[in-house]
Amino acid sequence: MPVEQYWAPASLPAALEHLRGGDVTILAGGTDLMPQSHAGRVTFKRGLLNVRRVPELHGIAPAGGGIRIGALCTISELLHDPLVHAHFGILAEACDHFASDQLRNAATIGGNVCNASPAGDTLVPLLALDGEAELASKADGSVERRRVPLADFFVGPGKTMRAPDELLCAIWLPVPPAGFTARFFKFGTRPALDIAAISISIAGVRSRSTLTHARVAFGAVAPVPMRALRTEAALEGTPLDEAGIVRIAGVARDEVRPIDDVRASAWYRRELVFNMTRRMLDDVAQA
Amino acid sequence: MKVIEKESLIGKRIAKLDAPEKASGKTRYVHDLDLSGQLYARILRSTRVHARIKRIDVSRARALPGVHAVLTAADVPYQRPLGIGKDQLPLKGDKVRSRRDEIAAVAAESEAVANAALALIDVEYEDLPPLTDPAEALMPGAPVIHDEKMPPQAPHESLKPGEPGDAEAHRHNVAMTFDYAQGDVAVGEAESDVIVDDWFRLHYVTHCCMGVSGVIAEFDPSGNLTLYSNTQVPFLHKREFAEILGMDPGRIRIIQPPIGGGFGSKLDIYPFEPICVFLAKATDRPVKLVFSREEEFVASPTRQPVLLRLRSGAKKDGTLTFRVCETLHDNGAYTSWGATTPFVMMQTISSLYRVPHCKYHTTAVYTNNPYAGSFRGYGNLQATFAVEQQMDKLAEALGIDPLDMRLKNAQDPGETTPQGMHFKTCGLKDCLTQATAASHWREKHRAAIAAQKAPTRYKRGVGVASMLHVGGGAKIYPSDGCGTILKIDDFAHVTLITGASEIGQGSETVLAQLVCEELGIPLDAVTVVNNDTDITPWDVGVHASRTTFIGGNSAIGAARKAKAKILAAAAKVTGLPEAGLELRAGHIVRTESGEALMNLAKLLRSLHFSDKADLVMTTHYYEPPSHHQDKAFKGDVSAAYAWATQVVEVEVDTETGVVRLVKVTGAHDVGRVLNRLGIEGQIEGGIVMGQGYAMTEELIVQDGIVRNPGFRDYKLVTAPEIPEMDIHFIETMDGEGPQGAKGVGEAPAICVAAATANAICNATGVRIYELPFTPENVYRALVAARAEKAAE
Amino acid sequence: MSLKREIGFVLNGIRTRATVPVEMSTLAMLREIVGLTGTKYACGEGECGACTIIVDGLSTCACLMFAVDCEERTLTTIEGLVRDPVGEKLEQAFVDCGAVQCGFCTPGMVVQAKHLLETHPHPTRAEIERGIEGNLCRCTGYVKIIDAIEKASRNGAQGGPR
Repeated sequence: MPVEQYWAPASLPAALEHLRGGDVTILAGGTDLMPQSHAGRVTFKRGLLNVRRVPELHGIAPAGGGIRIGALCTISELLHDPLVHAHFGILAEACDHFASDQLRNAATIGGNVCNASPAGDTLVPLLALDGEAELASKADGSVERRRVPLADFFVGPGKTMRAPDELLCAIWLPVPPAGFTARFFKFGTRPALDIAAISISIAGVRSRSTLTHARVAFGAVAPVPMRALRTEAALEGTPLDEAGIVRIAGVARDEVRPIDDVRASAWYRRELVFNMTRRMLDDVAQA
Repeated sequence: MKVIEKESLIGKRIAKLDAPEKASGKTRYVHDLDLSGQLYARILRSTRVHARIKRIDVSRARALPGVHAVLTAADVPYQRPLGIGKDQLPLKGDKVRSRRDEIAAVAAESEAVANAALALIDVEYEDLPPLTDPAEALMPGAPVIHDEKMPPQAPHESLKPGEPGDAEAHRHNVAMTFDYAQGDVAVGEAESDVIVDDWFRLHYVTHCCMGVSGVIAEFDPSGNLTLYSNTQVPFLHKREFAEILGMDPGRIRIIQPPIGGGFGSKLDIYPFEPICVFLAKATDRPVKLVFSREEEFVASPTRQPVLLRLRSGAKKDGTLTFRVCETLHDNGAYTSWGATTPFVMMQTISSLYRVPHCKYHTTAVYTNNPYAGSFRGYGNLQATFAVEQQMDKLAEALGIDPLDMRLKNAQDPGETTPQGMHFKTCGLKDCLTQATAASHWREKHRAAIAAQKAPTRYKRGVGVASMLHVGGGAKIYPSDGCGTILKIDDFAHVTLITGASEIGQGSETVLAQLVCEELGIPLDAVTVVNNDTDITPWDVGVHASRTTFIGGNSAIGAARKAKAKILAAAAKVTGLPEAGLELRAGHIVRTESGEALMNLAKLLRSLHFSDKADLVMTTHYYEPPSHHQDKAFKGDVSAAYAWATQVVEVEVDTETGVVRLVKVTGAHDVGRVLNRLGIEGQIEGGIVMGQGYAMTEELIVQDGIVRNPGFRDYKLVTAPEIPEMDIHFIETMDGEGPQGAKGVGEAPAICVAAATANAICNATGVRIYELPFTPENVYRALVAARAEKAAE
Repeated sequence: MSLKREIGFVLNGIRTRATVPVEMSTLAMLREIVGLTGTKYACGEGECGACTIIVDGLSTCACLMFAVDCEERTLTTIEGLVRDPVGEKLEQAFVDCGAVQCGFCTPGMVVQAKHLLETHPHPTRAEIERGIEGNLCRCTGYVKIIDAIEKASRNGAQGGPR
């Protein structure tokens, strides 16, 4: 279906007004929308809304005990941002593994989050970092905002809790507590241009030989990037000796729900989850 | 007195003639050409794997504004079958036999309109059971894929033994068979102290040229056809097109725009080209057809997948006794060059290292899968993968060092193999010695074996493999020759008109280099014309690593004739004997002293503007002194043969199966290095193509459907993944080769997979008989081996 | 009939206007409407880098960018590098080092290399490899491309005033 109307508003209220009309495709970085539509996997709706000029969607800044990352921040911007490096190393690492320089320069964090790909490169660390999505809408005539924890935000492959008349404005990350440590692992058959065979984030507060406030997230092993709650429970406060690590890795392998696809088999994904979770926990234990 | 020293261009690093234009983005590939009034074509391809076509309704498509023509088989009753098996019509009317089959074609004002028109074509199919396993296709009662009432075609004129199957063979889904024997394998078996017997499975990969397939067709008012085509075989193409279209070949002109990669993908005629011509005929307009990348993956030829059983033996002193090889070739729905890879495979099975007794058999079976064409190496990657793994296994069984085993059986210059290949030059032993010495193969090999059992995560290993390939053309057509026309103008500028095509490999630059070497002129004084069949003389085409050798000798022949004419004229003018004169740096000089006697351009002008006016224009047709194989596939089919040995060092992560290619050390017998920059580039590129074949690339074909038709899931090697490369040249100075050179285009890709297999086995103790060595495949093999060991 | 939009942008230093269908990619606009064919189509989905251009100082794949998104932006294609000092050094280095075979990936490589040298004036070979990880080449095996970029960087081909 060809596009009948195109807008590139310069303010949030204007953008939300167009969204309220319904039947609108949102254009952010375009790095996913263009190839999908070319391949016929996505058809344009009647309206195409370019949100690039909306100021609220830009910038990385400290805010409310954490940082607010505008939805239009590119992967490159995240990769080079000093705040991200200082406090959210695993997010910077995930950004470094993302595709290629050309794609990092154009792809946006907001696009990544709204696409909710089960393998989404940046989503796994965002989950481990307790990220939240800030959404705005103009349902009753005035701009309203709400925040949704990312752990609840992804509901299915390509599906999120964003309502059709809502715009994702930003991702919020709380500053991690003292003693926070995190690891990120992405597996693929090449360093770039890869949609992960699996990815893993493990985070928590180091306390003697255990992790508390444990967060474990996996990508490409379930319909959505997932927080592995049973693995977190097994990890929480457990002494990280050899036996403990093996047991936790086993819980992780059993908790994930991978499928067979052209990239990898379910069996192999589970093996990787076991082997790599074990490696990462070894690394945490020895740090 | 001016003195000019002899300066040779041979072995120097010479920049490619077309590089500046390409680096600035000015080169116009077929995709960048637009003819005035041109229409854009798209092809409707089958959505079924095996089905009868009941009905095609193009009425809605024809009615779309901007559509000039919609054609189906019914609209082109004059179309004739194409390909070496003559088993495929460009537009399919009765039946589709694979998912890429062409059912209809549209020519429209724009690509967008053409695409929209495709969506308006309705096709009704009656599904037939798909055959996607060649073994199943051979079973009695299997559906017959080629059940059409086509009379058995005469074998393709250029093919000698190994003829396409006739109607009877088709009833059993057999497309072609090959049989070869030398000596008596029963004797060989009896003499063996060890025998190894293994199955190997080689997978589908595809060329992935960065420039997708494209063609432009235009008829002039008199009905002459011009094709802008990226074919690698323009003169054969011309001939075949004439047959397919029912035209006089003299009225077909092929112009070759610069190509965005070839690698063998453009050696056969594929339906899209004749279809484009049909549209040009139907619309009286130029028509341009360009594939999408997805279409390129789905509809282009692949490398030949092979299921191969090899049984080989040796005596306890390491002497090889026999090899028996049987293969099942998945021929796909239609026959293309992939089915003829046995020509090359049997050479390796019979002659890579000295083997007295050998038997070879291939059955190529029709299925509803994609079909294979020719691809750099042409079956040799597959054959070498098997042979070189078994060399290691035989050595291990005998307790002999694998390198010593190879050296013991390596041929020497002057040998003729039982298949009739005469090795005038042969650098195999030097290749083996140099590659293994430079890579510290022996120490690393031993160290890895000692470390195999250690419970470390990362394991290193080294593997060695050699290859044998034709290096002086391959006489499979009636002629393996190349023609050259050379002219020099009044300013000593040469135009070299050659039948040899440039496909990005640098042949144009090498030919210019050889001519400059003969005539003593600088490279910027040469223009090469090589891309128009109305202008250039005949050449069989770019394949079999033949262009430097045969195109080179042809160019040298023409240049030497020109030189003789020039020196004869110079002798007259100077009164000095011809034998004492030479051409250097644009001058005629005294050979002995280097004293410059005359400026070349001046001499040429004096020759031209005289009473007996004459220009220097010469021609030469070079036919290599090779022979056609007889009906038993025996004969000295190439004018020279080339060898290489590669040592691959790997690091295996036993927890993920990831294999990192750390280093490739190669020693290549190239005869002589002509353009050092160019030859290095060929080898580096070939190694990485071999790496892709071994490690990362797989065209996943399931139930006849390509599941990964894009670069996201078909993984080409990227810059951070390449190994360190250490390349050595062995110059055996081939007597027949131009300045001693032999062909090298395919060699570097051929033994990477075999060497990698041996390296992985050295590192882990686990031998893998299937490709590719993706992390999951390697991990599975390691886990299976651990389980087997635990069970023992 | 597709909705069209008139846009204004700077292309290779020249103020340009074009009328584009809103669904059109920047790659299609450059090749079909502006008529510059140096930027190549090789996959259309951002996986190969053959269509790399520079937008507001950052490299990106033209096939992934909407043409309408070029509004008020500054674009540089391979054609624009011919008078650029870094571009010139790179093109010469590609020629001298044998980094060109079929040449189809070359424009995208050169543009990406230009961007790399602007941000990493003296890259190590490892940095160069990472820098061009999004550019596929089927012919060269990358070695001489890396050589060429390294050579250009040593010849003082970094960013900065002329």
